[in-house]
Amino acid sequence: MVFNTGAALLDAIVLAVVSREDEGTYGYKITQDVRRVIDVSESTLYPVLRRLQKDECLEVYDRQFDGRNRRYYKVTSRGMAQLRLYKSEWKTYIQKINEIFEGGVTA
Amino acid sequence: MNRMGFMAELERLLADMPEEERQAAVQYYADYFADAGEANEADVIRELGSPEKVAESIKADYYGTQFNEADYERKDYMEKYGQRSADGNIGGQAGPGAGSGRDRSGNGAGSADGGAGKSRPWTSNTLEIILIIAIAVVLWPVTLGIALAVFGIAAAVVCFFAALVITAVSIMIAGGCTVIVGLVAVAAVPSAALVAAGIGILLFVLGMAATVGTVKLCIIVYPAMLRGFVNLCRRPFYGKAV
Repeated sequence: MVFNTGAALLDAIVLAVVSREDEGTYGYKITQDVRRVIDVSESTLYPVLRRLQKDECLEVYDRQFDGRNRRYYKVTSRGMAQLRLYKSEWKTYIQKINEIFEGGVTA
Repeated sequence: MNRMGFMAELERLLADMPEEERQAAVQYYADYFADAGEANEADVIRELGSPEKVAESIKADYYGTQFNEADYERKDYMEKYGQRSADGNIGGQAGPGAGSGRDRSGNGAGSADGGAGKSRPWTSNTLEIILIIAIAVVLWPVTLGIALAVFGIAAAVVCFFAALVITAVSIMIAGGCTVIVGLVAVAAVPSAALVAAGIGILLFVLGMAATVGTVKLCIIVYPAMLRGFVNLCRRPFYGKAV
């Protein structure tokens, strides 16, 4: 991938990935899902998750799995609002870029 | 290093963080290893790099958000351009955005400060300029000769292209004259006059084409020469940043 993924876009992708699971999802799976789309190192995701949690966009809870406690992440209502904002921003952004790429010179 | 060693090392490296932060990070990576499965343990460790790198990524983000944002940016900036800031004007006026701009002006500012006689050693730039002037003075006969030679070559090139233009214009004028002479003589010797007029028109057109071509050539060559000459003169003073 030749384009950089900035902090905001990474936040948006993580929120979107987590929001797809109603029950919430866990660190390893989030990393795998994000890495399917963009090339980030495995150590990149934890700080992002932690920050989103502090910003109250994500909430965590522990659930028993395989004889141990596994930490799950879930998008809060605040996180959903943030994600909606990201999505609409992204839409305008790619529209403008596409205009330049495909529509030629804009007036 | 196996998973146990990795986790122990990570926990040790995060010891100076608040207990809650350390717990959360350790829990996350313990989960991560468990979910990846024993078969992938080596892959995960390789991908994560070293415990130092992981600890660094955790701390950087944690302290980055805890600190005043502007402070952090400034710290980052100072680290990146610290060398230059210490060298030149220390102060708050140079924001993060000014980095590349200062890069270029660094040379000039360095020599100006050196001339102001501050209590620090001269920059290599000041020294360089003084050396060049000294050499030029000592080797005066040689430098004068070289300067005159350069001037002579430049003059020759300028005149050469100017001559081309003049030649082309002359051909054009000659063609025009031949046409006029032919037309004047048309009553006396019609056949010869027509031939003369025909040749004249041909000459005129050729001359015009040549004029346009040579003028265009001059438009390209003269500015390029000027630029090259200016660059040559600036090179000793500004290094490669012309």
